[in-house]
Amino acid sequence: MDIENQDIQAFIETVKSQSDYDFSDYSDKSLKRRLSKILLDRKLSLEVLLENIRADDDLLEKIVKDITVNTTELFRDPAVWHSLRFDILPRFQQQSNIKIWHPGCSTGQEVFSMMILLNELGLLQKTHLYASDLNEDVMEVAKQGIYKYRFNEGYLDNFDSVIRENPRVNDSYFDVPYSKYFHVDKTRDNLRMNKQMLTKPVYVKHDLVRDPNPFGEVFDLIICRNVIIYFNYELQNKVFKLFMDNMSPGSCLVLGVHESILGPFASRFDKKFQAYFKK
Amino acid sequence: MSTKALIIGGSAGSFQIVIRILELFRPDLPIPVFLCLHRLKQVRKGFEETLNYNASLPVREPMDKEYIRPGKIYLAPSNYHMLIEKDLTIALSTEATVHHSRPSLDVFFSSAADVYGPGLLALLLSGANQDGTEGIAEVKRNGGTVVIQDPDDCEISTMCESAIKLTKPDQILTVSKIIEFVSLL
Ligand SMILES: C[S@@+](CC[C@H](N)C(=O)[O-])C[C@H]1O[C@@H](n2cnc3c(N)ncnc32)[C@H](O)[C@@H]1O
Repeated sequence: MDIENQDIQAFIETVKSQSDYDFSDYSDKSLKRRLSKILLDRKLSLEVLLENIRADDDLLEKIVKDITVNTTELFRDPAVWHSLRFDILPRFQQQSNIKIWHPGCSTGQEVFSMMILLNELGLLQKTHLYASDLNEDVMEVAKQGIYKYRFNEGYLDNFDSVIRENPRVNDSYFDVPYSKYFHVDKTRDNLRMNKQMLTKPVYVKHDLVRDPNPFGEVFDLIICRNVIIYFNYELQNKVFKLFMDNMSPGSCLVLGVHESILGPFASRFDKKFQAYFKK
Repeated sequence: MSTKALIIGGSAGSFQIVIRILELFRPDLPIPVFLCLHRLKQVRKGFEETLNYNASLPVREPMDKEYIRPGKIYLAPSNYHMLIEKDLTIALSTEATVHHSRPSLDVFFSSAADVYGPGLLALLLSGANQDGTEGIAEVKRNGGTVVIQDPDDCEISTMCESAIKLTKPDQILTVSKIIEFVSLL
């Protein structure tokens, strides 16, 4: 289905007038793709969809959830996790506590990855983990910690690469069993995170477009990957400001491997390893 | 209509051809070139390096929001979809795979067709699935030019055959003709 610019505008305006959500500053192409997929899946014309949205708040919530992209993985982009393991997290070793925020945490794989890595580094006990997302449904999945196994076999490869292997020292190998952190049940087709990790993070609904810091903390590490690719330049800058204002001295921001800080905030950070350190 | 951008898509069996094409570009290449290639999981690492080996211009995976410049060669990053925005910036997305592929040729070609219209030149090479068929059709619908590798000349013909079934390309060429064609750009 071909979505025109005026269609996307009509959608944005309708959502904005009916709710607190504002997609005006989302990347165009992605938003269009998502909207046309929604129309196709629901076999609706845009006019009918907008009419229904006006009449039904629950539907609006559902559409908002469908319009955002929730894909994630355990230890996505192992190189970033190597850098966290060897360069970044060890810097916080001497601190009495560590505060980490995952904005746009989706179904939680990134949060579990962080917990596993922190535990291997002996830092989990003293870490406070905060996670947030616009979409409460994905955070429900995060709280359960149960994922499909089929098509996610890559999780185990990523785990091996980040937790068992050491790219910095040839032939070194940490024999960490999967069962220390999760269990794979092939007949039920699931991968289930161990219970101890489920209650550790605090999950809160949070909209990066308009909400202030929801936790009332300043953070040592903010890890926000593959969220701002869906935002335009202006909204990205707004988000960088929110992050910067809530980071402690010496703290850093980790973005996705293909994301960078462009514009006015670039000079306020030092890019080192896979992270942006607050100046 | 003069060419404003060249996009190249391929999958299994296209790699060696892409390597040869990359040797051909002159340093004053006046247009941007985009590569959207499926990669096997095993060769995710070192893919960019290998493509750069004999390339006459640097091949680089772009960052999100990067401005597109003439004379640059952009490689769709692994595990992301690549799109082009109207303001000529790159947009990346982690949306679900399309035809089991991310990056997907359909996603990328369609978004390039929308931006460059008749100024787009699309080249589809050997491959083992149907990704690209819809994208090639979009290029044509938007007035662009389509060149498809001759299925008889493909290591794996599925991709090109499937595209030709839906869309009549401007040219169907063998590898040697493709090389000739690109060197004239
Ligand atoms: C692709 S996922 C990224 C998951 C994880 N960070 C990763 O990289 O694997 C993007 C997430 O951002 C969330 N998101 C989108 N817009 C948001 C907003 N305005 N505020 C907060 N979260 C948002 C989506 O709901 C989705 O769960």
